[in-house]
Amino acid sequence: MDPFELRRLDFSLDEDHEAIQDAFRAFFAKECPTSVVRAAEPLGYDAKLWSRLLALGVTSMPLPAESGGDGAGMVELSLVAEEFGRALAPVPLVEHMVASRLLAAAGGADDIVADAMDGSRLLGLAFASLSSPTLVSSAAVADTIVGLDGDELVAVTAVGDRALLPNQACLPYAIVDASAEKRSLLAADGRALFARAVREWKVLAAASLIGLTEGALGPALEFVKSRRTMGVVIGTLQGVSFPLADVAIGVAGGRNLVRRAAWFLDHDQDAEPALQFAALAYAAQVATHGVTVAQHVQGGLGFTVEADASLYFLRAKGWALAGGDPRQDAARVGELRLTTAPTR
Amino acid sequence: MDFSIIELDDEHCALQKEVRAFVDEHITDEVRANEHDTGDNFDEGVHLAMGQRGWIFPEWPADRGGAGLDPLGARIVELELMKGGLPWTLWETTRWVILAVEKYASDAIRDDVLAGAAAGSVRCCLGYTEPDGGSDIAGAKTRAVRDGDEWIINGAKMFTTGAHMCKYTFLITRTDSSLPKHKGLTMFLVPLDAPGIEIKGLRAFSGERTNAVFYDDVRISDDYRIGDVNAGWAVLHGPLDVEHGVGADVTGLKDISAGINIARQMHWTLDVVTAWANTPGPDGTLPADDPVVRYRIGAVAVQLEAALHTPGPAGKVKCSEALNDGAAELLDLLGPVGLLSYGAAGAIADGQVDFAHRYAQGAATYGGTNEVFRSLIAEHELGLPRAEFPGSRKFLTGSGS
Repeated sequence: MDPFELRRLDFSLDEDHEAIQDAFRAFFAKECPTSVVRAAEPLGYDAKLWSRLLALGVTSMPLPAESGGDGAGMVELSLVAEEFGRALAPVPLVEHMVASRLLAAAGGADDIVADAMDGSRLLGLAFASLSSPTLVSSAAVADTIVGLDGDELVAVTAVGDRALLPNQACLPYAIVDASAEKRSLLAADGRALFARAVREWKVLAAASLIGLTEGALGPALEFVKSRRTMGVVIGTLQGVSFPLADVAIGVAGGRNLVRRAAWFLDHDQDAEPALQFAALAYAAQVATHGVTVAQHVQGGLGFTVEADASLYFLRAKGWALAGGDPRQDAARVGELRLTTAPTR
Repeated sequence: MDFSIIELDDEHCALQKEVRAFVDEHITDEVRANEHDTGDNFDEGVHLAMGQRGWIFPEWPADRGGAGLDPLGARIVELELMKGGLPWTLWETTRWVILAVEKYASDAIRDDVLAGAAAGSVRCCLGYTEPDGGSDIAGAKTRAVRDGDEWIINGAKMFTTGAHMCKYTFLITRTDSSLPKHKGLTMFLVPLDAPGIEIKGLRAFSGERTNAVFYDDVRISDDYRIGDVNAGWAVLHGPLDVEHGVGADVTGLKDISAGINIARQMHWTLDVVTAWANTPGPDGTLPADDPVVRYRIGAVAVQLEAALHTPGPAGKVKCSEALNDGAAELLDLLGPVGLLSYGAAGAIADGQVDFAHRYAQGAATYGGTNEVFRSLIAEHELGLPRAEFPGSRKFLTGSGS
């Protein structure tokens, strides 16, 4: 953001935004308590939850009207992703939404898009090149993985089950080997299409990390409001309250950064091209710090398996890393800053 | 939600041009050089010229000394002046104090103060902090004692920035020490030329100047009381909320936090380092060709971006920490040449990075320390219970809060 540019700075949500937020927050609160998150371990996928989400339109929302979808923008999807993150929902929602939009934009894969919309086919995204076998965060449950092989945009569909690789984040990680699966070409030069999809993923992943961090903050706050030490409630101690305030500061800024980055993808995608990378880099930092503070203020109870704090902690890194090293996003922000002439 | 570029009609376009021309004419190299010498962050000539155009209170109607601008016009004036490097301290503090003057000042002084403030001849500074009080401004010990139609003030205030260039200080005083801490306070608009006032300059290592102000049997008329006796905390609330960045904006034409001017320093500093990285070094290579340099600039840029997006009191903390960490990191990146100060041969951009690193330390305290803001967030946003300290009850004699 150029702090001298005459742009509106209006972060308010309108009634439609609030309706989306309320609907998904209520849905996840009811359908995805932490018991559901635990029950889905170690695969990180709950088919029942996925089918219930379909009824809310999560697969038609992200697709444009030409593809039969509801044509939601990135701002709306970021609101969904934030609630998804808050609930730690065990479904590869962000990857599916972004991959289906990418397929629709590429064209020529109407059958896959139709299956993605009715929810019968789960999609995933490969961030590393598919020219060699690669680790993909949703591949143990997603049927079709979309990514680049050289300059080509390809969809790779599993011929059998891909084996789950157990991991810290309980994400359905598996190896995708395009040479051994059904590979279809979507675009001979798909780099621009894929670059746009990456920016979309950065924003939605960042939104989910902000939701996750705020989700972790909830039980931590409840704990420090009731736990006493040496005659005082520990939440009154600055050694406890200030780190929690820092988490809240990170969440507040990260959320605004995510929403503005989403808005630019919807309305002015060539302006401020670093925003989406900055959003992910910052959200990853906020989440890493936030879940650490949230479990630590709960002392020895915070890092037990029984504590819900562990669920947030163990996912924060995995969600951020699904798209690669967040420091590479910071490097990208630096490259973009260096190639744009200073304003003064 | 709206972050679009605002299309300007002819009228606003003309205003933008007018402000840019004003910047070129008035915010000169001489003004900048003087600013480095004095550390005042204020220039009377520029301020009076702003007053002539009604730009100190751009949204006030012309008959009150304003320019009768709409919120967009006011935003244009502010952005262009700040971009042009306006020395702004007393513009800001005067506007905060005037919020309370408009609402609470006596008929005897109100109109003159408002007219003078709009013209630029009347400036106001903040007499809140005391030598042994720090950020606990409700613990003020400076006493005001009524004597007929007058008050006699004794005490001392610290960090009264701009006092030597102001007509008034907005003074928080203790008028009843038998009442609970927040209930025995009264606000005054004290004329700084009153007998018994001594102003002593203090320099920060950024080069900025602030003041200690001493009050020795200072007599002022009751006309200068702002609000009811012992109602000072409520009077202070309006200006303090603005200073802390509390309160919602619905126009999308306001800064989202009180940290914006701190973030702008970081923006300039990062631009300076970006330009340095794009300039060949003595061996002909570009620093920007080094991926480590690109990453380090990017990491600082991410924190700046986050700071610019962080709202309210949280934004003040984030902006000052982004500057604090960012300036230190960029100094490391530049190496020894970054340490060269304003005026030194070979200093990069007049020593902007050196300045930012020094200025950042104060920025974590201006408007209340970051710890004050964290307390505010812990209590009001996170709903954590308030800590009970012995000082919370210092002035408590009976029961009550």
